[in-house]
Amino acid sequence: MLVNIVDLNDIRGLFDFVLRPPRTCEDYWSEFRHCKSLSNRFHHYYTFGTHPTCEQWKEDYGNCKEWEKSHSSQAKEALRESEGSRVAEQRKFTPVWELRKEPPRDWHMPLNQGKDS
Amino acid sequence: MDQSKQQEDDYGYNLFPERNAPKYKKDSIGATLFTFNHKCQVMLHLALETSPYAKLLLGAMKNSGCQVFKDRHFSCEDCDGAVSGGFDATSSQIVLCQNNIHQQAHMNRVVTHELIHAFDHCRAHVDWFNNFKHLACSEIRAANLSGDCSFSNELSRFNFGLKQHHQECVRGRALRSILAVRKVSREEAEKVVDEVFVSCFNDHAPFERIPHSKKDAKFANRHYESRDRYYANL
Repeated sequence: MLVNIVDLNDIRGLFDFVLRPPRTCEDYWSEFRHCKSLSNRFHHYYTFGTHPTCEQWKEDYGNCKEWEKSHSSQAKEALRESEGSRVAEQRKFTPVWELRKEPPRDWHMPLNQGKDS
Repeated sequence: MDQSKQQEDDYGYNLFPERNAPKYKKDSIGATLFTFNHKCQVMLHLALETSPYAKLLLGAMKNSGCQVFKDRHFSCEDCDGAVSGGFDATSSQIVLCQNNIHQQAHMNRVVTHELIHAFDHCRAHVDWFNNFKHLACSEIRAANLSGDCSFSNELSRFNFGLKQHHQECVRGRALRSILAVRKVSREEAEKVVDEVFVSCFNDHAPFERIPHSKKDAKFANRHYESRDRYYANL
């Protein structure tokens, strides 16, 4: 049997058409509108003392539409990069505790009605 | 909660006297007529069904292996003082103070606040009883993400502040919560809150943002529900 060893990096581009933007384009647009809203601007100032920057959502919407329309690799990369930095922003802290690998064992245990402890 | 093990610190259990000895047997006539138990149950049900904050937390907990069942993981009880609720890690239960919660909006907030504690308990090794940093961290997160410190809530407490006031409020409420359940000095509590503040204020799981309003929470929910698509396409 002949086996072709294929480098995944070579064929990755072939499957791009099955991938989609991380969010729907409507999501990007609604996030943009929400970001620009008066109430969000107020809450942002109340929380951070600064004004929110919303342009990135608009750019992402543009790239999303471009991706859907023409599968442009530029648009894809730009969108992926933008979302990548959003994820990184959310991870930018040193956790105080150790994460569990499994949920606590007594979460589902029934309550003991009679006090025997 | 073994009586013989009670040392100087009773870990705040004194605020929840019904944990050990309920005054009226559950579902008895006494419980129905003389307490706010029924009202609490109704408001709890509404909160779990309609609050986008609660729905996201319930979904996140289910995904972490800690599915929440209303009858098992929530308990409406009479409490002491002005406390609104608590999370009992020993029995994995959220306690709601039926005598102190009288409005739906308040119930929604308390449920969200306590679910955040439960979520932390579920996804991390939180040492509630011995590690002050862990306790402080969860309190900071709960005050930050539950809407406790919204502008309108602060206004109703006559705390007037605008620029960055949210953070001041989070600090203050985390401090208050720690002092209510542990026998420590204010200075010690402040020190611990300062130590972990930056890290815990920036931990927005599972919302991935600070939900300032119901709309924020709805957007966060929407993002959470499509996270499979999101991470597959990054």
